[in-house]
Amino acid sequence: MPPTVSIQNVSKVFNPGETNQVLALKEINLDILPGEFVSIIGPSGCGKSTLLRLIGDLIPPSSGAVLVNGKPAPQARLDQDYGMVFQAATLYEWRTVSKNVQLPLELQSVPKAERESRAREMLALVELSGFENHHPWQLSGGMQQRVAIARALVMRPQLLLMDEPFGALDEMTRERMNQELHTIWEQTNKTAVFITHSIAEAVFLSTRVVVMSVRPGRITQVIDIDLPRHRDVDTRETTRYFELVNLVREALRRAEAGL
Amino acid sequence: MAGQTTDQTGFSDVAAGVDAVIPARKQSWFQYYLPSILIFIFAIVTWELFVRLFSIQEFLLPAPSAIYNSLSLNLNQLLKLGWFTTKEALGGFAIGCSLGILVALATARWTIATEALMPFAIAANSVPILAFAPILNNWFGVDNPLSKMAIVAVIVFFPVMINTVRGLTLVDANALELMASYAASEFDTLFRLRVPNALPYIFNALKVAAALSMIGAIVSEYFGGNRSALGVYITQEAAQFRFANAWAAIILACIVGITLYLIVLTVERFAIPWHPSVRGEER
Repeated sequence: MPPTVSIQNVSKVFNPGETNQVLALKEINLDILPGEFVSIIGPSGCGKSTLLRLIGDLIPPSSGAVLVNGKPAPQARLDQDYGMVFQAATLYEWRTVSKNVQLPLELQSVPKAERESRAREMLALVELSGFENHHPWQLSGGMQQRVAIARALVMRPQLLLMDEPFGALDEMTRERMNQELHTIWEQTNKTAVFITHSIAEAVFLSTRVVVMSVRPGRITQVIDIDLPRHRDVDTRETTRYFELVNLVREALRRAEAGL
Repeated sequence: MAGQTTDQTGFSDVAAGVDAVIPARKQSWFQYYLPSILIFIFAIVTWELFVRLFSIQEFLLPAPSAIYNSLSLNLNQLLKLGWFTTKEALGGFAIGCSLGILVALATARWTIATEALMPFAIAANSVPILAFAPILNNWFGVDNPLSKMAIVAVIVFFPVMINTVRGLTLVDANALELMASYAASEFDTLFRLRVPNALPYIFNALKVAAALSMIGAIVSEYFGGNRSALGVYITQEAAQFRFANAWAAIILACIVGITLYLIVLTVERFAIPWHPSVRGEER
């Protein structure tokens, strides 16, 4: 099977030729297979968000190639091959919850009736049925983020790109959101690229954890998470889970020390 | 964007929707405005007493009662004059605001044009445009209401244009990336993101413009205008020492100015009920 995401020798330089030139990413190579859940973890400024934006073609690479579903990233963006979730829910406050979820469908001129039923379906998936006509500011942070996930899923993309989506949530809400996201991933068979600061979150959700280091941003280690595919509250209490958390922690420490 | 579940009314539950918020505020309307009403009455009474106790000459400051007498005596004439000037203000407001928004929409499409134009717009906004009133009177004719509309239009144009450009460009970076991730067209990004984002800025500018338009119309009439204009009447009555009449006309102008402002405020409530300033979170 061809990889869903293929990052081939990608480097990214910001402000090239200027005094504040920064080498954000250096020679990144990474293939993500269909159905994988890959978390990218690393210290602040290691370029993990930049890497996600390269996959989504929100910024172009300075060198190298990014393929999504075998196509160049710009074509994949035009084809709506991925859904994106940011750290801030980024809901449009002038739209109701349902209208926010419908936004990508509106842009593709999907008929109203179909838009509404698909939004309802997605909101049910993130357990927000009955909140269709609420406004974003009437929801808690966790609920807003669930709306953002519903919006990312409504185009039925095979690939989900998530940039620290639960970074602003408290620990308890975050664990609950982790569980919900895991369930959605398990049910829908999506491929996910997930940026995070949290080791626990990365291990719980992922099939693979990619550890990055700073200055320049590069991949220092890739750790396979060999936990069973189905995960729940008990997973967090297994010995293997703790071992993997420690493995990632040590890898991060080495990355920060520049080893 | 908003991340809280508790609104003003104390509902901590998400089920407390818009419907729950608005009636709660209506109930306390009288209580809310009572202090302001009391201050208003106090000010009028103090003014009246001050004029009577110290026998203030009318040309310095007429008593509220004298102004009221003049107002009720000349009400028909004043309303006619007032309507004439209000039409000038409204005409200028409509022309200036529409042009301001249209130019902003046009320049927002071309970033380079905006960057080149903004310094001039901001400079023009701090120029005393009223100083040009005599010149515009000359261009369009002193009697012609168009000369006053032109002044009002120029006065309101700049704040509306500058604010609209701000609203169109000061958009959350993630919100823009989201549109980019959908491969949305420039047109869709403009009308589904930038314009709704600009509405609160536009309404703020329209509120300023509503007040400015009446000021602009009256003051430009001070430089000469049609005999049936409020500003002309004020200068005439003042020149002939009928100060209570002049004050009555000024009060009428104030009422019109405030009314225009309130109309914009009401339209704003219906147009952007989602904005924090409207739903009452910024109090």
